[in-house]
Amino acid sequence: MILQNIKMALISIKSAKMRSFLTMLGIIIGVFAVLVMIGIGDGVKSQVSGQISSLGSNLLTVTSGQIGGGSSTAKNGQQQKGGGGFNFAGTVGTSTLTQQDVTTIEQTKNVIATAPFNVVSSNVTYQQLSTSSPFVAGTTPNYSSIRQLKIENGEFFTTNNNSSSAKVAVLGADTKQNLFGETDAVGKEIGIRGQAFTVVGVIKKSDTGSGFGASSDDIVYIPINTANKITNSNQIFRILVQVNDPKNITSTQEVIKTELKANHSGQEDFSVLTQEDLLSTFNTILDLLTAFVVAIASISLLVGGIGIMNIMLVTVSERTREIGIRKAIGATSSNILSQFLIEAVILSVMGGLLGLGLSYIAGLLVKKFAGITPVFSLKALVLALGVSLLVGVVFGVAPAIKAARKRPIQALKAL
Amino acid sequence: MKKINSSQPNNVIYMKSLGKRYDDEAGVLDALKNVNLEVKEGDFIAIMGPSGSGKSTLMNIIGLLDRPTTGVFLLDDVDIATLSEKKLAQLRRDKIGFVFQSFNLLPRLNVAQNVELPMVYAKKSKAERKQKIEEVLAKVGLADKARNRSNRMSGGQVQRVAIARALTNNPSLILADEPTGNLDTKTGDEIMNLLKDLNRQGVTIVLVTHNPEVGKYANKVVWVKDGLLTHKKVSV
Repeated sequence: MILQNIKMALISIKSAKMRSFLTMLGIIIGVFAVLVMIGIGDGVKSQVSGQISSLGSNLLTVTSGQIGGGSSTAKNGQQQKGGGGFNFAGTVGTSTLTQQDVTTIEQTKNVIATAPFNVVSSNVTYQQLSTSSPFVAGTTPNYSSIRQLKIENGEFFTTNNNSSSAKVAVLGADTKQNLFGETDAVGKEIGIRGQAFTVVGVIKKSDTGSGFGASSDDIVYIPINTANKITNSNQIFRILVQVNDPKNITSTQEVIKTELKANHSGQEDFSVLTQEDLLSTFNTILDLLTAFVVAIASISLLVGGIGIMNIMLVTVSERTREIGIRKAIGATSSNILSQFLIEAVILSVMGGLLGLGLSYIAGLLVKKFAGITPVFSLKALVLALGVSLLVGVVFGVAPAIKAARKRPIQALKAL
Repeated sequence: MKKINSSQPNNVIYMKSLGKRYDDEAGVLDALKNVNLEVKEGDFIAIMGPSGSGKSTLMNIIGLLDRPTTGVFLLDDVDIATLSEKKLAQLRRDKIGFVFQSFNLLPRLNVAQNVELPMVYAKKSKAERKQKIEEVLAKVGLADKARNRSNRMSGGQVQRVAIARALTNNPSLILADEPTGNLDTKTGDEIMNLLKDLNRQGVTIVLVTHNPEVGKYANKVVWVKDGLLTHKKVSV
């Protein structure tokens, strides 16, 4: 019987192709929008988590201010803005971290290396060229080994360069490309805050790519002592900490917390974050955003459902005579009910499938033109089909009941 | 279903003191009054009368599309008074084959699918349905038209399909409502001869018509006037 009803539904959908398509349109758009939004959200998420985990699972990041490792993201959202690596430029306020903290951490058990990190806001110039896009970071040579930076050309600056506050710089691949194009940069002089810096090395382009348009390759590294000198301060924005084994990461995190708290006279005005903390902070923000957009897109599913109900009510009126005939030759009310319900469900599910197909095509386009690879999980697929099935049932019931309730004598008299 | 023995065996229809009253805003109308009627297996009976006489009401009650207000109606010895809507629909499916004036085939379905429909509702197996479609289409002389659409066929052919559809579930009776009303005389005669043939093969037929020419095909004529059965005649 259900098979027969499906057959009947397909016949009547086929006999009014244009109308059926227009009826499905709401569901098509709804499912399409929801799937694309979830797909892009998941795509960005996996891209960024790829970037963050590429930093290494044995890394801790010590940062100023209280970031509750994902739990209190809303109020600290600003500090965590930016995808690729870590956008320090988003940080506001004066850091509470000091050189003493760096020394303390260095002496902590299980810590192999630390790298303090600073930000210099400055344009970078080369001859007539001037650019404000690179991120000028003051750090120590340890940073290079902790981040496992690969040198394309020349070398990273040395510990001696740092202690002598030498005016040397290492360029990220994009910065080098922007300022020098194809010409060799090593040995050339660039300007930072009006002072001449000699380029000693160029970093290879990272394979994790860029996130949110902020390139992690548009960067200039200078020795942190030099940075402190030209900015006339000794703030430390972040401290990267490398731990000997991922197993020790949580215990070391706790030890550092306790020790730094002592340094900061009992105030926990800093955060010690694992890569997972960073990831979950980021994911919470992104999930919130995705959920918001998906909620908006879901409205079109509702509208689509109402469209189906509307057309089915018209269909039932138009086919009153058919209902009368069917009842006369022996259809029970429940036969009629299931016939029209199944028709509504098929319309809705077909719409869902079309939306699914469209969103897949859109995914390919987004990948090609926006550089984000949307992820279409099985969960999203099941969700889309489940929701369109549900919409069909919910909005198909009223018309089907109306059909089933028709009295055969009156129905047979209809035109 | 409760079976009651009517006074006579082989009764397909047994009506005793049957009445139908419409009581609505428009007032009270007794469409049928004290109707007594017996139709036996193998009968070919014509119910005749002018429009407004109550013959449509009688037909609707016989066809289980409507219920009497008073009196007894046994269809194949089943008392329909106590049956639910669902049971009525199932009884209609199994016991009655409708033939309408305006044919009432489903335009979106082809001939075979139209004929198949009552068997689909009766949940017959696919093999059984296929065999029966061939059988009944052969009976009405349309064996080669199974894949045709009704909107490409003549009125006479369409009515034959409707008769084939009426036969599929081996009903106790065929209820034909003005079956020639939309046909020209010649085609109408062909349809009536087909019904007559079927009757000779043992199919019980109840014919509702206002046309005496058509009524002549029946063995028995019942006249309805102002809600009363006024006259019964057995033709020679």
